[in-house]
Amino acid sequence: MMQQFLALTFNGFREARRNRVTVVVGAFALGLLVASTLLTNLSISTFDRVLTDVGIGIMSIVLVLLAVFLSSGMLSREIERKTLFLIVSKPISRALFLCARFAGNMLTLGVLLVLMGALFIAQIALYGTLITEAQFVAIGMLFFELLVLSSIGFAMSSFSSQMVSATVTVGAYFAGHLGGDIYELSNKAEDPLLQWVGKAVYYALPNLSRLNYRIQATYELPTPLPELVPHMLYAVGYSTVMILIAITLFSRRDFK
Amino acid sequence: MSTSTMLAIETRDLSKTYRLGFWMNKRVLALQNLTLAIEPGQVYGLLGPNGAGKSTTIKILMNLVQATSGTASLFGHAPDSKEARRNVGFLPENPAPYEYLTGEEFVRLAGQLVGLSGHELDQRVKEVLGAVGMARTAGLQIRRYSKGMVQRIGLAQAIVGKPRLLILDEPTSGLDPVGRREIRDLILQEREHGTTVLFCTHIIPDVEALCTRVAVLVNGRLAREGSVQELLTTQVPLVELTIEGLTPDTVRGLGHPIEQLQDLSNRLLIRAGDAHVQPLLKSVLGAGGRVTKLQPARFSLEDLFLQAMSEAKHGSVGGEITS
Repeated sequence: MMQQFLALTFNGFREARRNRVTVVVGAFALGLLVASTLLTNLSISTFDRVLTDVGIGIMSIVLVLLAVFLSSGMLSREIERKTLFLIVSKPISRALFLCARFAGNMLTLGVLLVLMGALFIAQIALYGTLITEAQFVAIGMLFFELLVLSSIGFAMSSFSSQMVSATVTVGAYFAGHLGGDIYELSNKAEDPLLQWVGKAVYYALPNLSRLNYRIQATYELPTPLPELVPHMLYAVGYSTVMILIAITLFSRRDFK
Repeated sequence: MSTSTMLAIETRDLSKTYRLGFWMNKRVLALQNLTLAIEPGQVYGLLGPNGAGKSTTIKILMNLVQATSGTASLFGHAPDSKEARRNVGFLPENPAPYEYLTGEEFVRLAGQLVGLSGHELDQRVKEVLGAVGMARTAGLQIRRYSKGMVQRIGLAQAIVGKPRLLILDEPTSGLDPVGRREIRDLILQEREHGTTVLFCTHIIPDVEALCTRVAVLVNGRLAREGSVQELLTTQVPLVELTIEGLTPDTVRGLGHPIEQLQDLSNRLLIRAGDAHVQPLLKSVLGAGGRVTKLQPARFSLEDLFLQAMSEAKHGSVGGEITS
């Protein structure tokens, strides 16, 4: 079973590589170059912060868009093109197929994150500014944010088209960063039903603000590991639920 | 071991209804109460027009679609079990392997998914690529392949695990005559190795060339089933007459039962049952007609197919639609 899982996972990574997803890293490098050229006119103290903010910000935008694109289209493309007929007819369970495809997706995003992270650190070093632990924390936690977003796109993709999946995933990204506001608003509502609905929406949506450490990176604020672990576990738990939903829906689905 | 576990494929009252429309209120009866028993070693043809239920049957067997009612088994295992698919090689209609892979990489992936590894995998990939005539072009990406080459890679991935049962959905569709011949030869080769083959097609010469037994599906129902020999010989023998000097209306006016009458401008081609030929001949000659040819008509699978179609409840193809 492990051999089959790994074969499908690495095939997912190979798919991304052959479909020239690595071009994204080039685009990121170019973005960094342009941004840092524009920022060199700023004062020294601000420059450090802005460079970190812009660098991790660009990385985040590029990878979030890529995660939405890859995860929302993964299953729907396989179903539409009927490529999965040749795979799910093999002696593997649909659950294994799904998990391996998801793992392939995360491997691709993980490798890109590492490459972009390396470029970012190289740029920081090049300008002689400070490399801090907070920057690594922000980059590491970005992976967990991508994990949550990918799992939402993936779950949607198991029963809907790429367009619907992508729209919902983008919506979840914005709503996920506004989770705290939704909670506050529901607390202020007078109607208990509205309060209940608001809280239900808050708990159903991913709380992506828990995984956002970009501000800490910008202001060089260290975050101890014990404080990070619950947020990491939250991301893994949320993704697991999404993947279980995908498995349940996908296992019952007819492929006409 | 019971009889049912000895069968390569068994279906009992297998039915599939698709629900369509915004409110899911339209029902298409794609397959209705199909009962089949396919023994190991047989090459079994599923014959039928478009929408007859052939692909639905195959998809149920491959667990791509779930039956609405009835049961199906492959070597005694339910289609949703991994054990069932461990012994099966499947080639869907218009196979779509991952285009970014080379032919060799795709067959290798298929081999890994059926549990092959190491030297055995290398050996087997090389063997099957040679067998389907793709050894030279296996290093090219599949997106550069012609339809025939994709079909061959599809077949290679199906046989890489040395399956005991091959399920092929329209394996020769869209191929040129040479490609069709080669795929047919490969199927025959597999039969010689003792592999059971179930394939569905609407290309009748392929069925005649390959199958030991056939089932004809029309509108989701089983219309005929049996060995090719049996199905053709149990038909009422027909005689074919070519006549000159009479009009179609005159021949019909003679009052004899005629199976088929074709007007070929200056002559008529008539098909009539053996028992009615003598009185028909006398009447034709008596009416001033000239018989230029008289021969027994060979009842082909095509005739059987058309007969089953004309006997079906609907004149059109596709499953029954109800609201």
